[in-house]
Amino acid sequence: MSDDDFLRVTDVSKWYGDEKVLDEVSFEMDRGDVTVLIGPSGSGKSTMLRCVNRLAEAQEGSILLDGEEVLSPDLDVDELRREVGMVFQGFNLFAHLTAVGNAALGPRRVLGLSESEARERAEAQLERVGLSDQFDSYPAELSGGQQQRVGIARALAMEPKLMLFDEPTSALDPELIGEVLEVMHGLVEEGMTMLVVTHEMSFAREVADEIVFLDDGHVIERGPPEQLFDHPEEERTGRFLERITSHD
Amino acid sequence: MASATRPAAIRERVADSDRSVGRLLLVAAGALFWGWLVVSWINRWLGGVIVPVGQPLVPVGAVEAAFGAIPGLAAYAADAGFVVELTPVLSRGTWLTVVITGVSLTLGFIIAVPLAVTRVYGRFSAWLSLGYTELLRGTPLLAQLFVLYYGLNLASYVPGAVSGVFARDVVWVAILGFTLNGAAYQAEYIRGALESVEEGQITAGRAIGLSKLETIYHVVLPQGLRYAIPSWTNEFVYLIKYSSLAGFITVPELYYRTNQVASETFRYTLIFVVTGMTYLALVLTASKLMERVEDRVSIPGLGAEREE
Amino acid sequence: MSDPGTLALAAVASAATDLPTGDVLATLASVGESGDWWFIGQPADWEFVFGNADYLGIGALLTIGLTIASILLGFLVGFPAGAVEVYGDGLLERAVSTVGVVLRGTPIVVILIVMYFVVGVPQINLGIASISSAMTAGIMGLGLRSAAYQSQIFRAALSSVDDGQLEAGRSLGLSRFEAVRHVVVPQALRRSIPGFQNEFTIVLKDTSIVFAIGLAELLTRGYNLFSEQTTAVLEVILFISAIYFVLTFTTNRALDYLGDHYAIPEGESA
Repeated sequence: MSDDDFLRVTDVSKWYGDEKVLDEVSFEMDRGDVTVLIGPSGSGKSTMLRCVNRLAEAQEGSILLDGEEVLSPDLDVDELRREVGMVFQGFNLFAHLTAVGNAALGPRRVLGLSESEARERAEAQLERVGLSDQFDSYPAELSGGQQQRVGIARALAMEPKLMLFDEPTSALDPELIGEVLEVMHGLVEEGMTMLVVTHEMSFAREVADEIVFLDDGHVIERGPPEQLFDHPEEERTGRFLERITSHD
Repeated sequence: MASATRPAAIRERVADSDRSVGRLLLVAAGALFWGWLVVSWINRWLGGVIVPVGQPLVPVGAVEAAFGAIPGLAAYAADAGFVVELTPVLSRGTWLTVVITGVSLTLGFIIAVPLAVTRVYGRFSAWLSLGYTELLRGTPLLAQLFVLYYGLNLASYVPGAVSGVFARDVVWVAILGFTLNGAAYQAEYIRGALESVEEGQITAGRAIGLSKLETIYHVVLPQGLRYAIPSWTNEFVYLIKYSSLAGFITVPELYYRTNQVASETFRYTLIFVVTGMTYLALVLTASKLMERVEDRVSIPGLGAEREE
Repeated sequence: MSDPGTLALAAVASAATDLPTGDVLATLASVGESGDWWFIGQPADWEFVFGNADYLGIGALLTIGLTIASILLGFLVGFPAGAVEVYGDGLLERAVSTVGVVLRGTPIVVILIVMYFVVGVPQINLGIASISSAMTAGIMGLGLRSAAYQSQIFRAALSSVDDGQLEAGRSLGLSRFEAVRHVVVPQALRRSIPGFQNEFTIVLKDTSIVFAIGLAELLTRGYNLFSEQTTAVLEVILFISAIYFVLTFTTNRALDYLGDHYAIPEGESA
């Protein structure tokens, strides 16, 4: 652990009522790192992700992003979210806006770019995710895979310094998963810092610098993918991996 | 809440019996109706450039003669002449009906949107908004007009700035009444529509750094208001019809004026059939217009597809 | 009152001239005088209102009676009309839907006046009591317009029942009519409760418009009262408004209960 960690999560805990959903979770990542959170459903990994951009509020602990305390009550959350992009499991595309409209809304309304600058930026990001032929399509006219790529372009258009992916492929039909993972691969190669929650283990193994295994709100084990996948130290990790890979 | 479960689109697609046979006739009748109205209004504003103010556009005698000349219709010549004689009254009254409806609907909408937004997203203000809508929707519109006109005598308190816009200040009292009442109904429709906007839309808006209000403005309202169009059309149609109640507080709109003629001539049958037809024409126009608007602003996957 | 037909007009005309209306400033001033911030109006005028509570009470009963009779008529005509719009064809279906468009597109006050003057419904003698022609016109006008709306509620409810239901009924050997009667209608009726609830309160509120034909229901009686004691205008109207509110509120809650009671468990998203 060095002082210049880009993201440092320290002892983060969160309760929903009496239920402790995150229990002193800690991990850290450098700029350009890809960290993948894995674990059974209900293990708290999505909640952990949401604590980073304050869509969920952690009650205890510390999250330092680029040296700034995310959990500070004085922090401007809207400013934080400008710098942290998020991709949702259910896409959550703005249903009344075209692909370009979706990606341009943030730059236009949040960053205050002009209409044409925002559009330009949106188009560039849509090209980046391979959708240059779908600029003016509405979400309902796109396939699930295309919708999720718009979702990624929307987040990228804000030029975030960190991208959060919340099970980006879980809502997709199997044949559509590939195109989304391909886009994510591209981002990894470009050096984007990414925190990813996913069940795609082969993807995780390929791109992750570190895997964090969560269960019941605890970090059970973390380490580089080779170590975690091939030589898990904890029995629970092994059982989880066995269960999830047997489904593939 | 009783109304929350209201099947919004059932209520009143007045004009959905769209059959190609009658369609052409309907369009022709509509063109004739609006042509007559607009020409009459312009004639009045310009001080009678076409015919003297208060005179029908077509001479009564000519119509009577025309009817008389056609066998089978000859018996109705006098009635036709009477209707033509009535047309200046009709067009004058319809002008006020249209103005009252348009102004009240617009003002009501401006109040209804914040009412609905506070109802859905507010805390304490949600209760205020609920109280307002329940009270206004739980009492008859006519009683509300009576409170404003007889009870509070508001006609004597019309502010100088807007006083004199209409021949009689009481028109403003009617507009106030319809605005307050319509806002409550419109707020209900808009609330239902806002609630049907998915939660994920708000999350996504917040995630790119929009504030809560910005998210409501840029994300929720553009979708919710589209969902609200069909039920909002009902409110439009309702308001056209209920604007006739303004006649009870002496506003010289369509119903008031024709009723006055009826009480002088005792030709209730003919006069009220014609009056009813005039309202029907306004209502059909409104619902056709709103269908157009709905098509215009429709977005794939939004709104229209939600109706079964 | 010899010619109730002219009452609406007479009322409107007289209101314009010789009815001294309440005064906002006086009303507001009295709030201060009474010492209670919540107290609107003058104690003497409230006494007048409560002194005439029985007169208004009879009006409220008439309002209720008129509502129930109109809703019943609306149901008896509207339900078959809705069925015709869904299952009928040809001339009958066309006629029914056209009449519906006309009734839904015309203001209720015009419908009532047409009923009263044009149709000229007679006074009905029931031996013990007689129903005035204004009452008959009121029931006819409100009832038939309600039928036009109820037909739309039932039409939507009937067509929302899955086609498979009808097929399943037919497959058991029921005739088309029997299948509709025993399978589709019971489901459709339940689904129409929310719309019906809405319609009920609309009719209740719109009974006030029979004022136009001089029927002495709640609002008309209120009008008569404050014409008599013109300082009590606001008090009278607030009082009758409160009665209307209580009526609509209790009706809504009662129908809520009915809806819950007859709801089919689960699976009904309609």
